[in-house]
Amino acid sequence: MTSEKPTMSGQTMIEFKDVHKYYGDYHALRGITATIKAGEFFSLLGPSGCGKTTLLRTIAGFEGISSGVVMIDGKDMVSVPANVRPTNMVFQSYAIFPHLTVEQNVGFGLRKDPRSKAEKAAAVAEALEMVGLKGYGARAAHALSGGQRQRVALARALILKPKVLLLDEPLSALDKKMREQMQMELIKLQRQVGITFILVTHDQEEALVMSDRIAVMFEGEIAQLADPETLYRRPNSRKVADFIGTMNFLPAEILSEIDGKVEVEAKGFGRLTLDAEQVSVAPGSSSASIGFRPETLTILFDGQTATDRESRAEVVEVVYYGDMTYYDIKLEGTTEPMRLSMRNVFGRPVLDIGTQTRVAWSPGALVLFR
Amino acid sequence: MKGGWFRGYTIAYLIFLYAPIVLLPIFAFNNSTTVAFPLNGFTTLWFGKLWEDPALHRALSNSLIIGISAAVISTALGVFASRASTRYAFPFKGGLMGLIMLPLVLPDIILAVALLTVLLGIGTPLSLMTVILGHVLVCTPFSIAILSASFQSLDHSLEEAAYDLGETPISAFRLVILPLVLPGIISSLLITFTISLDEFIMAFFLAGNENTLPVYIFGQFRFPQNVPVILALGTILVCLSIALLATAEYFRRRGIAKTGGKDTGGFL
Repeated sequence: MTSEKPTMSGQTMIEFKDVHKYYGDYHALRGITATIKAGEFFSLLGPSGCGKTTLLRTIAGFEGISSGVVMIDGKDMVSVPANVRPTNMVFQSYAIFPHLTVEQNVGFGLRKDPRSKAEKAAAVAEALEMVGLKGYGARAAHALSGGQRQRVALARALILKPKVLLLDEPLSALDKKMREQMQMELIKLQRQVGITFILVTHDQEEALVMSDRIAVMFEGEIAQLADPETLYRRPNSRKVADFIGTMNFLPAEILSEIDGKVEVEAKGFGRLTLDAEQVSVAPGSSSASIGFRPETLTILFDGQTATDRESRAEVVEVVYYGDMTYYDIKLEGTTEPMRLSMRNVFGRPVLDIGTQTRVAWSPGALVLFR
Repeated sequence: MKGGWFRGYTIAYLIFLYAPIVLLPIFAFNNSTTVAFPLNGFTTLWFGKLWEDPALHRALSNSLIIGISAAVISTALGVFASRASTRYAFPFKGGLMGLIMLPLVLPDIILAVALLTVLLGIGTPLSLMTVILGHVLVCTPFSIAILSASFQSLDHSLEEAAYDLGETPISAFRLVILPLVLPGIISSLLITFTISLDEFIMAFFLAGNENTLPVYIFGQFRFPQNVPVILALGTILVCLSIALLATAEYFRRRGIAKTGGKDTGGFL
């Protein structure tokens, strides 16, 4: 998602400065420093237990921090309790009040609002319409489906016009089809209201689809913070590369390093030079490897020639997916199979296992990890 | 014929359980001072005698005062304990909750004697207050058992959602937690009241000169001519108890239905 939004002002909405959180001896957040811009759709992505939900809850005010600073819209939140922070949350369980109707749920936060009853009712109706639940106001909350609860939770949070909307794995309880539909609706809704959305998710695809920027977290630390395209194309560590999509790793040897440009030799690829921005340095790693995504290698069929570089390879596994075919190939001189994906084109054969073929590639699509 | 055997067993069990209770109203309306078949004729004389007995009135009002007080106090304590045990983590939680629940299985007579010894030791005169104290001790575990189920089924996020939407901890409790556990609270009040109403041992040891209803009934059995009157009283008490417990169960189930939950047991 790199589309420009009229509401994106580029101002800082949330700022973490060296945030630490301990639960007893357990170090849940280990020095988080990051900024989230106003109007941004921001995701905290990581495996369970990485601290992403804890970090979200420090914004909401449900979780105190052991040291550091959390600022919302320029204000230090250290002594601001959850009920007066300019944030609202959509909970993983939705937390719809079961003893109230849909209307009463959506209007819950308006209790202290000085507006008249009629004005509040109009605001509730408007919020319900915005999330596609027009006419559901009088229903009992416990009689709703999962997707409908989700919408009520959204309306209930958005009606208060928060500066930041926090979403704690809001789609994880929905089935695949419903989830994909809600992803699209959330993106549209966010553009429409222009509020900063912060999403916690463990689903890398969901994060890539929905976010302007993503913070990938492991073990209480942000491993990489970037837009989806950068994360996908230039992951800064093998760990991030592994977590987001599929990436192949080929052992490589560094020959020389001049002005940031690195010359490497890898079996199967031969000798090549990579730019500084293609090189990521992970502390503690001793061996170097070249990483590439399955779609960056293309099988050359009879008569086709590579525009950049090409290598010889053998097909060792074929998985046919209808629109795509996944091949496992062994580049000449290597032993580990590499995953390669090809879009199927009418009239082009699917190769058999054991076929000797040629693959085209471009050094610019590679990443060096060391 | 496994099924037949079980059916016979079930019927025998139910007869053993309920036949004596069914006999109560039969003899309560029987026109004879001796409790024996054949029946003599229909009368409401014994119910009339009940009405005229000032000692009974006294015992009844004592029992109501004790029952209502014990129900309110033990339910209040039950709310605190259930909330604490389901919502917060604290050291020795399991052991503490176990100790609080222990009077449920301790012999009442041991509790009563122990309490009596302590009260006499510190020079507290026996009165309705001391009976209430004993009954709170007996009733609180029941209250906690009922209310823990109510608190346990609450999603913790509901409370956080209320804070998130601008409520303070106190108003969140009032607007969200209380309405959701209210059926449990009503159920607890009714059940603890019923338990207190027919509790004998504590009342017998701790009441001093005052009588409660069960103690009064026990005393009346010394006079054979009063037995039919007691049976009439028993008839009323059985009906009342069933009505109270049925009401308690109604509220408990309504609470579950209201929140769309699943029934996971209960007393009835």
